[in-house]
Amino acid sequence: MALTEERPEVLELESGDTTPDVGGFGRPSHGTGWKAWVFTVDHKKIGIMYGAVAMFWFFCGGLEALLVRAQLFTPNGTVLTAEQYNQLFTMHAVTMVFLVIMPLAAAFANYIVPLQIGARDVAFPRMNALGLWIFVAAGIFINLSWFVGGAPDGGWFAYAPNTGVAFSPGHGMDFYAIGLQIAGIASLIGSINLTVTILNMRAPGMTLMRMPVFTWMILVVQFLLVFSLPVITVALVLLSFDRTFDANFFNVSMGADPLLWQHLFWIFGHPEVYILILPSFGIVSETLPVFSRKPLFGYGVIVISGAAIGFMGWGVWAHHMFVSGMGPVSVAAFSATTMFIAVPTGVKILNWIATMWGGRLRFTVPMMFSISLVSMFTIGGLSGVMHSVAAGDTQQTDTYFIVAHFHYVLFGGALMGLFAGMYYWWPKAFGYKLNETLGRWHFWLVLIGFNMTFGPMHILGLQGMARRHSRYGPEDGFDFWNAVATIGAFIILIAMLVMAVNVVRSWTGYRKGRVPQEGADPWDGRTLEWAIPSPTPEHNFDYIPVVTDVDDFWHKKYQRDESGKLRKVADGNDIAQKGDQHPHLPSPSYWPVVLAAGLPLIGLGLIYNLWITGFGLVLLVGAMYGWSLEPATDPDAGHGDGHDDHHEPDGDDDGSSEVAAETEEAPVG
Amino acid sequence: MASTRSPIRRRFLIGLPALVILLASCADGRLDATDPKGVNAEAIWSVNRLSGWMATVVGIFVAVAVVFVVVKFRERDTDDPDEVPEQIHGNKKAELTWTLIPVGMLVFLAVATLPKVFDLNEEGAGRTIKVEGQQWWWQFSYDIDDDGEYDDIITANEIVIPVGEEVNLEIHSNDVIHSFWVPQLNGKRDAVPGRVHPWKISSTEPGIYYGECTEFCGLSHANMQIRAVVLEQSDFDEWVRRQLEPAPLAASGDAAEGAALFAANCVTCHVINNGDPAYRVAAENGAVLQSGVAPNLTHLMSRTSFAGALFEMYDDDGNLNVADLREWIRNAPALKPANAENQQGMPSFEEKLNEEDLDNLVTFLQTLGNPPILPD
Repeated sequence: MALTEERPEVLELESGDTTPDVGGFGRPSHGTGWKAWVFTVDHKKIGIMYGAVAMFWFFCGGLEALLVRAQLFTPNGTVLTAEQYNQLFTMHAVTMVFLVIMPLAAAFANYIVPLQIGARDVAFPRMNALGLWIFVAAGIFINLSWFVGGAPDGGWFAYAPNTGVAFSPGHGMDFYAIGLQIAGIASLIGSINLTVTILNMRAPGMTLMRMPVFTWMILVVQFLLVFSLPVITVALVLLSFDRTFDANFFNVSMGADPLLWQHLFWIFGHPEVYILILPSFGIVSETLPVFSRKPLFGYGVIVISGAAIGFMGWGVWAHHMFVSGMGPVSVAAFSATTMFIAVPTGVKILNWIATMWGGRLRFTVPMMFSISLVSMFTIGGLSGVMHSVAAGDTQQTDTYFIVAHFHYVLFGGALMGLFAGMYYWWPKAFGYKLNETLGRWHFWLVLIGFNMTFGPMHILGLQGMARRHSRYGPEDGFDFWNAVATIGAFIILIAMLVMAVNVVRSWTGYRKGRVPQEGADPWDGRTLEWAIPSPTPEHNFDYIPVVTDVDDFWHKKYQRDESGKLRKVADGNDIAQKGDQHPHLPSPSYWPVVLAAGLPLIGLGLIYNLWITGFGLVLLVGAMYGWSLEPATDPDAGHGDGHDDHHEPDGDDDGSSEVAAETEEAPVG
Repeated sequence: MASTRSPIRRRFLIGLPALVILLASCADGRLDATDPKGVNAEAIWSVNRLSGWMATVVGIFVAVAVVFVVVKFRERDTDDPDEVPEQIHGNKKAELTWTLIPVGMLVFLAVATLPKVFDLNEEGAGRTIKVEGQQWWWQFSYDIDDDGEYDDIITANEIVIPVGEEVNLEIHSNDVIHSFWVPQLNGKRDAVPGRVHPWKISSTEPGIYYGECTEFCGLSHANMQIRAVVLEQSDFDEWVRRQLEPAPLAASGDAAEGAALFAANCVTCHVINNGDPAYRVAAENGAVLQSGVAPNLTHLMSRTSFAGALFEMYDDDGNLNVADLREWIRNAPALKPANAENQQGMPSFEEKLNEEDLDNLVTFLQTLGNPPILPD
C-alpha cells in the first residue's frame, strides 16, 4: 500500500480536484453480488477467485488426461485420432502447468501471504486484480482454440521447427504462443506485486528470518518468475513472429538452429519446475509443524535450501537436452549440476521428517496430504537423480519413465501440497472446515489412484514405451500396465468428485448450521493468519501486530511455567483479534477487468484480422488512461482522508499499534 | 483427533523404485532397454542399475524413517493433552550430516558415471552409415565404395549392420526434430535439421532389434519405427552384394502394367534405381515433391516391413503380406495418420487406382529385390 499513500496527493497537485473526471464512468462501490467480486481489489477475494478458476481448469485438464488414458487403455486404441491425441496431451500439460498449478499457488500466495506478514492487502491492489483477470483471459483465449479449428498440437514444449507454419499450419500453435504471452503478463504482474508486498509490508519486527516458510518460498518463486518469464516471452515472441509475419528465427533453411528454441524454452522451463513445487514445499513447512506440535526443524536450513534451489535451478536447464546433440562437455556439466541440486531438496525432506520426530502427530486431512508429499515427492526426486546421470538418461528421456518422474514431482509433490493447503486454510477463508471424513476418502482415493496411474509408468518407461505416441502395438508388451494406469486415472477422477461433493456439502451444511463456525485458530496454528477471525475480515487486521519471533502467534499461546515446563497459557481463539475495526481500504475499480479484456482481443486480431487488434488496443489504452486518472482509494468512499493507515489504525484506536499489540496480544498466564 | 487408520500401507509404495527394477527386469518387450544386446546399451544399463540401486536404498531409508515417525509419534488417546512436545528448533550436527552424506553419494555417482558420457560420444571402430529422419520414416544410406558419398545402398526404416561391429551413425533430419532410438543397442540421439549428430550402435548377437522415433515430430510420431537387422558378417556381405544390384526392368505382363502405373503415379516421391530415367523425376528448383522424399523402393522385397516399419512384409510362413500392402497403396492415410495435402505423409490413391491397378502394382513391387536375409 505504499503507493496508495502517494497517488491522491499527486492528483490533487495537478488538478486541484480530488475527484477526477473519468468520462461517464463512476466508481464501483464495495458492493454485494457479482460486482463485489469482479471489481474487487481485495487480495482475499482475488485469491479465492484464482483458486476457483484454477480448479475449473483442473477438471478440464483432468478430462484431457482421462481421454489420453482412455486412448492408451488398449493397444491400437481407437478412442482418439492421432490429431486429437496430440492436441489433448499438449493441452493437458499447458492447462496443468499454466492454468492450474501456477494459479493455485497464486491463490494461496494472494490469500495467505498478506495475512502471514501482517498486512492489510498487497502492495498494488488494482494490479493484483489485473493479474487475476489477465490470467482468466489467457485461459479462455488458449482454450478458445478448441472451438475455432483445433487446439495447439506441438506439445507444451513446442519444439521448433515442428511448431512453425510449415509443419503446423493450423492456428493451434498461434493460440499457444500468444496465449502463454498473455498468461506470462499475468504472472509477471503478480510476481512484482508479491515481491514488493513481502519486502515492504511486513509487520514491525518481522525480519526476513522471522517470516513464515510459506511466505519465504513464495518470495523465492516470485524472483524465479520475474527472471524466467522474460525468457519464455522472448521465445514466444520469436515464434509468433515466425508464424504471423514469416520471420526466420527458427527456419532452418534460412540458417536457424532449432536448438535455440530448446535453450530458451528450458532456461524458463526448468526454473518453472521450481515455480511449481516450491509453494507446496512452503505449505507443508507450515502444516507439518502445526500438526506435529513442534517448530520446523532447521528453519534456517529449510529457508536457505529453498533459496539455494531457486539459484541452482538456473544452472540445470540443459538436462532436458541430454540427447539433443549439444556435445559431451555441456552434457557432463549439466549432468553434474543436476545431481547436486538434489542436495538442498534432500535436506528439506530430512528436515521435514525431523520436524515430525518427537512430536505428537494429528492425522488431519491436511497432515495426511503433507506426509504424502514428503513420501511421494521423494520417489520423484530419486528418479530425478537417476535422470541426472546423463549416460543413463539417453535410455530414459522421452519415455514413460520421465512421465512417471515428473508426475511424482508435480502431482505427488506440488498438487498434494496444494490439497494440504486447501484443507488447512479453508476455515480461514470460509469460516468452516471441510468435512474430515470425506476429506479422508478424497485423500486415500487420490493416493491410491495416483500411485496406480503413475507407478506403472516407471515400468512402462523401462520397457521402452515412448512418450507422446498416440498408440502402441500389441507386440510391444505394454498392455497390462497401461490398463492399470488408466484404471488408476479414473480412481483419481472419483477422488476429485469426492472432493467436489465435500466442498458443496460442507458449504450447504455451514449455511444450514450443521457445520460449525470455526474460531480464529481452529488448528492451534503458529503463524499470524490464525491471530485474526475466520473467515478473515475484509481489513484483515484490526491493528498491525508486532512480531518478536518465528511462529510469533504460537509464542503468545505457549510459555514456560516456573518449573520450566512448556504449558499452554492461552487459547488462540480467545487472544485473536476481534475483527471489529473498520479501517480504510483500497477502493474497487472497473479498470483491471477492462484492461484484461483487451489482451485476448489483441491476440485474436494477430491471428485473424488486425482490426480486432485495433479494438483490443483501444480497450487496453483506454483502460490504462482511466486507471491512471483514478485514485487508488476513492475519495468519496467512507473515511476518505486519502491516507492509508498502514501503521495507524482508524477510529477509536488512537494509540500506537505497538502499544495495542503488547497489551492485547501478550496475555501472560 | 487421533486417526483410527494405520497409515503404514502407503509407506510401502515408496519402495517403488525397487519394485520397478525387479518387474522391469523380467519384462520381455521388444523395446526393452533393461535387456541390452550391445556394448553401449550394456554400459548404459550398468549405469542405470547403479543409480537405480542408490535411489532404492535412499528411498527405503526415507520410507522407513517416515513409517517409523508416523507410527511412533502419532497422537494416542492415552497421551496427556497438556503435554507439549519438546520444541526442538534444529540440530546443526544432524543437518550437516544429512547434507554431507548426500553430497558424498552424489560425488561418487558423478565420478562413476560422467566418464560414460564421453565414452558414448567416442567414435566407433566400424563403418559409418548416414541416417535421415523425416516425417514419418527413416532412411539409411551406405557408402560402400568409400568415395565419401552415401549413395550406394539406400534403404528405409531398416538399418542392416554386421554383428560385433561398432557402426557409426551420422544423423540428419530433413524436416523437424526426430530421435533415433534402438534401446537394446544404444540410447537415443536426436536428429536435428541443419545439424549432423554422430552416434553409434552395435550388437553382440545377430537378431532384429526394434526402435522408434522418440522426439515428438507431429501427427504420426507414433508410427515412425526402426528395425536394426544385425547379421553375421558373411550374411551381411551377401546382403550388400544383393543391394548393389539394380532393380530389374519389368518386361511384360501384369508386372509391366504395374511398372507403368508406378512411373505414372509413384515416382513423384519414390525412387527405383534401375537405370531408366522414367523412374526418376528430376529435382526441379523449389519443387516440394521430388524423387527421394519417400522411401527408395529398389529392394523393397528385401525388407521385413514397410510404412515406417509399421507392417510386416511377410507372414510367419514367408508369404507376402499382400492385403496390407494393397490397402497401404490404396489409402495410406487410413492406416497411418498423415497430412498429405501439406506434403506430410503418403496420400490416398483411392480415387486414382482401381482394383486391377492395385493388383498390378503389387505384382510389380514383388519384382523389386530378393526376400530378406534374416538373422539366424
